[in-house]
Amino acid sequence: MIELRNITLKYGEREILKNVSLTIKDNTIKAILGPSGVGKSTILKLMLGLIKPNSGQVFVDGTDITSLREPELYPIRRKMGMVFQGNALFDSMSISENLGFFLRENLKLPEAEVQERVAEQIKFSGLEGYEDQLPENLSGGMRKRVAIGRALIFKPHMILFDEPTAGLDPVSSKRILHLISTLQQSSNLGAVIVTHIIDDVFSIADHAAVLYQGEIIFDDETEKLHQSEHPFIRSILSDKILEL
Amino acid sequence: MPLTVIRSLEKNLSLQAKDFLLTMQEFFQFSLRAFFTLPKLKRYWRDFLDQATICGTDSIPIVLVSAISIGSLLAIEVGNLLEDFGAKTMLGRSTSISVIRELGPLLMGLMLSARFGSRNGAELGAMKISEQIDALRAFGTDPVAKLVMPRLAAALVMFIPLTALSDFAGLQSAAYLAEHYHHLDPGIFWNAVYPRLGPKDFVVGFAKAPVFAIIITLVSSYNGFIAKGGTAGVGRATIKGIVVSSGLVLIANFYVSKIVLENM
Repeated sequence: MIELRNITLKYGEREILKNVSLTIKDNTIKAILGPSGVGKSTILKLMLGLIKPNSGQVFVDGTDITSLREPELYPIRRKMGMVFQGNALFDSMSISENLGFFLRENLKLPEAEVQERVAEQIKFSGLEGYEDQLPENLSGGMRKRVAIGRALIFKPHMILFDEPTAGLDPVSSKRILHLISTLQQSSNLGAVIVTHIIDDVFSIADHAAVLYQGEIIFDDETEKLHQSEHPFIRSILSDKILEL
Repeated sequence: MPLTVIRSLEKNLSLQAKDFLLTMQEFFQFSLRAFFTLPKLKRYWRDFLDQATICGTDSIPIVLVSAISIGSLLAIEVGNLLEDFGAKTMLGRSTSISVIRELGPLLMGLMLSARFGSRNGAELGAMKISEQIDALRAFGTDPVAKLVMPRLAAALVMFIPLTALSDFAGLQSAAYLAEHYHHLDPGIFWNAVYPRLGPKDFVVGFAKAPVFAIIITLVSSYNGFIAKGGTAGVGRATIKGIVVSSGLVLIANFYVSKIVLENM
């Protein structure tokens, strides 16, 4: 379980998050919805301890990670998998090297087991035949699937998605959402999805939180979004896509 | 009105000073982390070998070109000057001291600042912008240990033979020009070089190699690590890395010479 408690974060004089509290339970998919630049991706980075808040605490499975030093954070981060918006694949490595990199780097598993897990992810992501390709030779949807495979290869409890369908064509978007949904059902995996596309939220999320002007204005079951009277939520329900 | 301007100026200066001190603090911590992760070298052996090839073997041509050109120029110019005093036989002595103590290591440092430093800044900056460095951290890998420490270790190891190569090429080119331009017998040239060069001259020259290695690697890598603002930000980080490390190489060159010469 991940819990953000009274988080305030400032960049210079600008207050990005104002007293934000959120809870993400295991085995559920929670979407964080909001316009671009409002601090949604920042919330994911806070969950991983990549940035520290000005005040407030972040708990991962009961441990307050805001007070931990960088090396102490590594084992906690491995409980979560992160899929970055731009995928953050290592561009000088092949697809199979990207997938196996962190297993070799951090877990020191026998090479046979690394190969086995890589092959498993290649198959799961539908990337057979592309093992030796560099990321630049793949389509956006395929790169996203590699990034998801890389996040899953550690067998994490929770997976964090930063705009998983941004920049993808409708077919690839649908495939990625189906993949996330399958993961939750087959592996009992919890997920946090940051998005500005409201259709994605209704497609897969059990719970949703809406971030607006640095504050959480909604945090409940996804279906209850329709009952909200908040003008911003009313407007996004009618427009379907935020920002632009 | 003037009071408002003064206050605004004061506020700006104070903010700039604060930014500068914060950057220095971050750089210091970054550098310490790079040194503290050196014991992990065995784990990142392949990265070390890659970086040793990039900053060592691949840099040989540019080091040779700069050393040969400065050795040749020194031989011509100093030879002309000494000829006026009828002291052309001292050409070997003066060029060898200049090359071994100062110009060999300095030019190598500046060339590597441009070559190795720019590569570090651009590569790490691009990794930062594309969130690859965040990905390393997110999956539990120390990016300084993985990306900076092998570069630092490779530079510390490779800059010493490159200095030797630079000295050798500089002296050989000076000897060649002494013979073919000033018509000085090679025996006279080398007799003025060998007996007069002392350990102090080599210590001055070779002590600079690790100092330059540390400056160039850490400054350029740090600038890559803090790159922001898209591709233009990578460009800015790269340029800043080269400019700052080149400036520091020049300053360090003076102080290493001064400290060693005063204490030996």
